[in-house]
This record gives sequence, C-alpha cells and structure tokens, in this order.
Amino acid sequence: MEHISRFCFGASYAIALLAELCASIWPARFWRWFGLAFGGAGLLAHTLFLIAQQPTPAMPYGSLLLLAWVLAVFYLYGTLHHRKLGWAIFVLPLVLTLVVLAGGFTRGSGPAPDWAANLAGERFWGTVHGTLILLAAVGVCVGAIASVMYLLQARRLRAKSSPTSGIKLLSLERLEAMNRRAIGLAFPLLTVGLVVGFAVGLHRTGPAGPWVSPKVISTAGLWAASALLMVLRYNLHARGRVLAVGTLGAFAVLLLTLFLAHPFVAGGQP
Amino acid sequence: MKLHLTGCNFRTAPVDLREKLVIAEGRLPAALADLQARHGGEATILSTCNRLEIYQADCSGPPDLAGWLADWQSVAPAALAPALYSRSDADAVRHLFRVAASLDSLVVGEGQIAGQVKTAYEQARENAAAGPLLHALFQQARVVAKRVRRETGISRGHVSVSSVAVDYVRQVFDHFADKVVLVIGAGKMGRLTLDHLKELGVAWIFVTNRNPDRAREVAGGCGGTAVPWDQLDEVLARADIVLSTTGAPEPIMSAERFAPIAARRTTSPMVILDIAVPRDFDPAIHDGDQVCLFNIDDLQRLRTATMAERLRHVGPAEAIVEQEARKFVGEWARRRTGPVIAKLTADCDARRQLIWNQLQSRLNGKLSDDDRRQIEGALRLLQNQILHGPISALAEETRSGSGTGLIDALRQLFRLKD
Repeated sequence: MEHISRFCFGASYAIALLAELCASIWPARFWRWFGLAFGGAGLLAHTLFLIAQQPTPAMPYGSLLLLAWVLAVFYLYGTLHHRKLGWAIFVLPLVLTLVVLAGGFTRGSGPAPDWAANLAGERFWGTVHGTLILLAAVGVCVGAIASVMYLLQARRLRAKSSPTSGIKLLSLERLEAMNRRAIGLAFPLLTVGLVVGFAVGLHRTGPAGPWVSPKVISTAGLWAASALLMVLRYNLHARGRVLAVGTLGAFAVLLLTLFLAHPFVAGGQP
Repeated sequence: MKLHLTGCNFRTAPVDLREKLVIAEGRLPAALADLQARHGGEATILSTCNRLEIYQADCSGPPDLAGWLADWQSVAPAALAPALYSRSDADAVRHLFRVAASLDSLVVGEGQIAGQVKTAYEQARENAAAGPLLHALFQQARVVAKRVRRETGISRGHVSVSSVAVDYVRQVFDHFADKVVLVIGAGKMGRLTLDHLKELGVAWIFVTNRNPDRAREVAGGCGGTAVPWDQLDEVLARADIVLSTTGAPEPIMSAERFAPIAARRTTSPMVILDIAVPRDFDPAIHDGDQVCLFNIDDLQRLRTATMAERLRHVGPAEAIVEQEARKFVGEWARRRTGPVIAKLTADCDARRQLIWNQLQSRLNGKLSDDDRRQIEGALRLLQNQILHGPISALAEETRSGSGTGLIDALRQLFRLKD
C-alpha cells in the first residue's frame, strides 16, 4: 500500500473523466464501463492511500484528500445510480482539483496522528470539530455540483434546446431538491462544528486567542454564506437560479477556507 | 440461398392501393397456407399500413408472388405491377435488415417497425410457415435492429409534437404524483398531449374553457375537474403543467397579467405548453427557470431538429446493415456448403481408398514400402488437385453471397446424396 501515490488515483480519475467525455461525444456503452472501471480503481487506490497515510483533516493536505474521497464515493454512487447521465463530468473535475490542490500542501512532519489519543480529552472535541466541518464541506460541494447542473439545465431550457442533445442532466426539480438538501445538511453541521471549535479555542487560549486570523474569518464567512442561503430558501422563498448562484458563492468561500483550515487535531492554534 | 421478396411500400404505392393490399390479421393464416400450397417452402408476410412484403424461401422454383398477391387481394395485375418491387437472396436480406432497423420507414428511426417485423415472423411460425431460413433471417433482423438503435443515434428523441412536449416537461419535473395539470381549451392536439401527460401519473387535472359544457366534456374524458373560466388566474397559480390549446384569436395571457400569478407561486417551477395557433401565452413569460413556456413553433422546431439529427446517423446505420447482411449471407452459405464439401471429400477419400486397396492386392509382394508411399501420395495429390477447383469455386460463391447453383451442380456432378 505504501507504493500507492496521489498520482495513481489522480490519473485513474482523470482517465475516468476522459472516458465519460468520450461517452458524451460517441454514445457507446464501452466508454461508460471503461470510465467506471477506472473510477472504481481510482477510488480503491484512494481508499488504500488514506488507510496507509492516515492524513489528518486538521491540515489542508488531509482535509482536501478526505473531501476528495467522499466526493469520489458520491461520483461512483451517482454514476451507478444514474447510468445515462453525465454525472462524472460534473463531479470528477472537482475531485481532481482537490487531489491536485492537495499536492501543493505538505503532509506535515512527524508520525501519523494517533487516532486513539485524539479521541480523548480536548483532542476529542478537536476531532469532532474537524469532522463536522469536513462533512459540511461535503454538503457545500454537493450543493455546488447540483447548482452547476441546475444552471446548465436552466440555460438549455431558456434557449429551448433539444432535451436529447448534449450531456444528459437531471430535471430542474431534482437538482433543486439535491441542492436544498445538501445545504440543509451542511448548515447545521457547520454551525455545530463552529460552536465546538469556538468552545475548544476559548478553553485553550482564552478570550484573547487569535480570533481574527484569516482561517477563522473565512470559516465564519462560510457559515454566513450558508446562513444566507437558508434565509433565501426558507424566509424569502428564493428558488432555482438564485439559490444555485448563492450555493456557488458559498462554494467559493469554502475553497478559500480549505486553504486556511484549522490545525485543531494536530494540536495547533485555532 | 433461395430467398425471394416481393412487396410495395409508401414510396411505391399510393395509399388507396396500400389500403386494398393490407392483409388483415385474421386472414394471415389462410394467406400463408395458400402461399405455401402454391409455391412450397417457407413464407412470411409483413403487412403494415406503410408496406406489404412477402418473403418466400426454399420454394421449388421462382415464385410468382405478384400474381399471387393480385389473385389473393383481387387487384388488377396491371394496377399492381408498377407499385411492386422484388429482391432476391442477398438483396432481400439487406432489404429486411433495413426495414427492421427503420431505415426504410416514413419516419426514419421510428421504433414500431421492429415490433411489426417480429410479429410477422411470429405469425408465420405459429402457422408453421417459417422454416430454417426465415427463422434465422427474422431472428437476425431483430438483432440488427437492436444493434443499429444501440450503436447509432437513429432512434434518439421524439418526432411527434405531443411526445416532444412531454420530453420538455421531463426536463423540469422528476416526479408527477403531486403535480397539477391545467388544460385550457379543448383542441385535438391538446387531447393527444394530455394523454401523454396522464401516462406520467399526474395527481390532478383541471380543465377550463370559455364554454363550460366543453370544459365538462373534456374533464369527463380525462378524469379531471372542470373549472369556471373566470377562475383561470387562481388555477394557474396552483398549476405545475399548463396545456393551452384554445382557439382564441389573440393571447389570453399577457406578461402583465401573468406577473402577479407568478408572484403568488411559492412552490415548484411551471411548464406551459402553448400549442394553440394563434398563441395563448405571451412569449415574454418564458424565463427557463421558474416558468418554461413552449409554443407550437418550439415543439415543431425540435421535431425537425430531431429528424435532421436522425438522418445524420443513417450512414453509420447503413454500414451496420451492410456488414450484417454480408455476414448473414456468408454464414448461411457456409451452413449450406459445409456439409456438401465434407460429403464430397469423404466420397472421394472412400473411392481413392478402394482403388488403392484393389491395386495393392493385385501387386501384392511386388512393391516396396517406398513404392507404396509414393503411389499412395500420388493418388492423394491427384484427388486434392481434382477437388481444389470445385471447392475453391464454392468458397468464392459463398464469399460473394450469390445463389446456390454451384451446390446443386456439385451434388449432381458427383452424385452426392444427402
């Protein structure tokens, strides 16, 4: 397992994406199965890599790879469940971006984190914080993918393009529901994650802690963006395109936050 | 291969002649029995509203299918002759494959013909009219039709206005069990589209019309509820799918009138299918997000685009048909020639062995082992050189897919018995 590198699963995902693009141009079942085989192989290699390396979600390197892994599972599920849709074309670029971005960060020095030790005392809450933020990030990413598909589908409908031409997409209703559920799930996770992080930070450094660091501000910004989306959806009854654009805005903030992730689990400062 | 086809279709025969030639399902068994009684062999009749084709295989001589058709349907041969076409052997195979793959249809790529070809074969089989050749041919025609549909885009999309309308609805909605359909007016095209929408399993159908009796009539026919015309705006605010097909001389819904209706809606998007001429809804209402409005021109344009897209796939589909037809003819010929070649070789082997045994007994003790090997080798070489010509010619005939004359000639020349 130690011979598996980021290149192995990154290349597999890239080939799966290419196969999916070929399937959208030349509609033959072969491309779909070819892509699925490479996508599955990539996910297997990715899983083994994570098991071997045990990257911590507290560091950008680990959080990007873990987020990419969850999205790769989402890709595989979607491709198997919606065989006729160009699911991979929307999910795999994001997975690949995260894998490539992870390469820009160092793994962090020292031995792999001791997860048993992390589950005790203050570190336990640090792990809870990191995991909740990661799951919230998954929700925002899924919402962003649904939003891109929504905007594309709405554009085609506005232009009254042929429903059978181009990449097959889910209906507006389904994409809107997917976006709504993803954000509806991400917001409480993010809120609880931030509250836990705030409490741990307060306990560790006191009120004089570095609360105005870019990492803290960007995470708070992500929460504010998610809160705005919730208000838009449930108070102002905003629908469709407005929600999709708002979700993409939240996703942009998420990308910023990922660069500035908290090093709680590693025992650093909030 | 002894395969003959005679028939006519929408290109060669006007509709009044095709009407006369249609063989009703109830008369097919008798027609098949009569065909076999007259010509022997196997027979299948493909009778649809756009074509009538008779396939006859392994009959004793060239069948007079045109004469039979004229007799059977009581049509003057002179009127029938110009409308008929005939194909034989490989051409007949290619023709059936093209028909089954919907390359010879009025609407290229339509899916109905593959089912009709299958039905024709099943009727022949049930009436003991289909034998080995027609069985293999029609089975393969189904395989070819499936392959063409799978590997090309020839059957992609819909080409009827009502189906295209439903395609658009499916781009917006995913499930229909909670959807409200509002039908405005009572046009014929609207009823067809409504039938398609009902198949989706919509929850409620409301019908409104300036004439309340017409609204009640349409609502009764589709299991919906009639709504007074003056409640149009209220029902529009609740509707998810609107089907408008009035005969009003001017639009019934302007963008200004629609704006407060759209503002009252807080749920899902809305699809408006405006298939009235003149149009009922102002095109400015369409935003492609919360309100998707499609009028008859949009649907017709898409229908035309789908047809054009299908025609783009005709070339690759024809290539598949050609390849499959050659393969079928070659394999069928091999099925026929294989046993003949085996029989011919075995027969010659037996004769050579007999002659060699007689020669050995006559020259007993006078030949050395080397002499025996030389003579036996020479006899074998002679046999191979004699057979090389006929077997090569047979193989060439197999590859070219031409008739079965050479097989019969070989059977007679070498006195081969089955």
